[in-house]
Amino acid sequence: MSTRLIASFLLVFCAVAIWQVFRIPESTIQSEVGPILAPSVLVALLSLLGVFYLFTTISNKAPDCTHQEEDRPLKGGSKRVLYMLGGGLAFILLAKVIGFLIPAALCGLGVSMAFDAKFNLKTLLMVFGIAGAFWILFSAILGVDLGPIVQIPF
Amino acid sequence: MSSFDSLMQGFAVALEPMTLLYGFIGCLVGTLVGVLPGIGPALTIALLLPLTFKVPATAIFVLFAGIYYGAMYGGSTTSILLNTPGESATIVTSLEGNKMARRGRAGPALATAAIGSFVAGTIGTIALTFFAPWVVDAALAFGPAEYFSLMLMALVTVSAVLGSSALRGLISLVAGLLFGLVGIDLQTGQPRFTFGQPEFLDGIEVTIVAVGLFAIGEALFLAWQGKENKKTDVLAVSGSLWLSKEDFARSWKAWIRGSLFGFPIGAMPAGGAELPTLLSYYTEKKLSKKPEEFGHGAIEGVAGPEAANNAAAAGVLMPLLTLGIPTSATAAIILSAFESYGIQVGPTLFTQQSSLVWTLIASLYIGNVILLVLNLPLVGLWVKLLKIPPQWLYAGIVVISVAGVYGSSNSVFDVGLLFFFGIIGFGMRRFDFPAAPLIIGLILGPMAEQSMRQALTISQGEWSTFFTRPISGTLMAISIALLLVPNILRLIRSRKHV
Repeated sequence: MSTRLIASFLLVFCAVAIWQVFRIPESTIQSEVGPILAPSVLVALLSLLGVFYLFTTISNKAPDCTHQEEDRPLKGGSKRVLYMLGGGLAFILLAKVIGFLIPAALCGLGVSMAFDAKFNLKTLLMVFGIAGAFWILFSAILGVDLGPIVQIPF
Repeated sequence: MSSFDSLMQGFAVALEPMTLLYGFIGCLVGTLVGVLPGIGPALTIALLLPLTFKVPATAIFVLFAGIYYGAMYGGSTTSILLNTPGESATIVTSLEGNKMARRGRAGPALATAAIGSFVAGTIGTIALTFFAPWVVDAALAFGPAEYFSLMLMALVTVSAVLGSSALRGLISLVAGLLFGLVGIDLQTGQPRFTFGQPEFLDGIEVTIVAVGLFAIGEALFLAWQGKENKKTDVLAVSGSLWLSKEDFARSWKAWIRGSLFGFPIGAMPAGGAELPTLLSYYTEKKLSKKPEEFGHGAIEGVAGPEAANNAAAAGVLMPLLTLGIPTSATAAIILSAFESYGIQVGPTLFTQQSSLVWTLIASLYIGNVILLVLNLPLVGLWVKLLKIPPQWLYAGIVVISVAGVYGSSNSVFDVGLLFFFGIIGFGMRRFDFPAAPLIIGLILGPMAEQSMRQALTISQGEWSTFFTRPISGTLMAISIALLLVPNILRLIRSRKHV
């Protein structure tokens, strides 16, 4: 992933924002400034800044920490990121279906494997312990609604 | 009623057992998050925002103040013993502090940092106590136009003046302002940037963005780098945890000077803590009788910057409490906590919520004492925390973040949004975009738009109102100057080089 790709993402984001500005309905309420002005100005400004950023990437002036020796990632960086995002996805897909504990433990497992933990019994016990401890802290002690700790989906 | 009388009333409430307990918990949690890498006060306060539905306002702000001050104290431990500054404001502390620890003088380094933090925190809080009412008096003359100009100045300075690049700072800010506009427009009821999704109608929660950027983004970045398991060992606490006569003599002036740098700069919209810590470091280096020790572990190089850092933290509360302008990510999240209670932050806060504000200020004095007592005797415990393996530490941080966001709305859509902002945070960290302007933009954006529309309604659509009113015009001129002057100077300098 290079700085030019990031500049392109930023410009795509601006294009989507412009499309959304055009979809803001006109207000029927009489006012000096309607709901469209601020979004239009900001999107225009961001697009302009995005173009400037693209120029800095073309002239290789935009920083990327992979250019610096001490910040360069070790081998397998993308795999580690995917482990963590996979854990998050597991939580999103399962939390409503089977309760908090198992999805949160899977999320924790993804994170710990992203930090080079081995997939073994100790890791499983730790992540289930972390997920269980936070359910008790939030749900049982602080009264925050995390849903049931375990739920049978059928 | 004078400031002193109000403060005494604040002490009466702050010293009630329950309030004191919240203050103590705040200091403890604050020190903990300050010590642990990857988790800071902004993230912690953001995660605790759901508590605003259950806990009284006074207690929650005393808790948050404890976390805020505690994190400043705790950050020095990581810098000195691990040479890993948790945030940019403690980078300078690690320069000399870690060298002292390597020379077997970790104890005096930790002691001068803790006592310096206490001295500076107290000086900063005294300044806040007596200067804040003056600022409030001046700010009562502000109308919507002045507020809009002031917010614009804060936004410009936070994004364009601080940080390594004005361009990347402004991109972060404008993106934050746009995210702040998502949802129903309060004046006309029209949906904006909602993509037809009902989940977006109420806007994007500050908690989700802050936790996504700071917790998930940071964890993704560190996992991607893969170097956390290969970090150097935590140095042992060597030497006495008290200052010798010579160490004290070399430290006390640095504490005072650091405080005098920290508070006024921290109180400015563009202040921050980086500039006063650097200024303090170079001043101490210049004034030291043993300048040859700098770079090898000079105690003044720890005492001054640590004091400056803590005084700046007190300074940041000044624009927040008096004007409702947050100048750091943590202040922005504290502001959103005020909004959760429906409390209008600004000059009227001191009249309408007098008891709350003065209890908060009194709790800062008490918190400083608690932190001094907590820090040094418990340093062994903090050192043990630094030895938690990263796979469990970050699993804990991410799971608590997910639980915090999921618990506040019971929506997996919000958890998805959390990871979306986590990916953005990862990209921002990798490509050196600052995160604070995005958070500040997210919170100030809707407020600034509201002020702008009110000002234009009053002036019947005359845009010149922002430039013709004296205070507003001055603030606008300062904003423009702050935006342009550094670039013009850079251009002149580069031409001279050519």
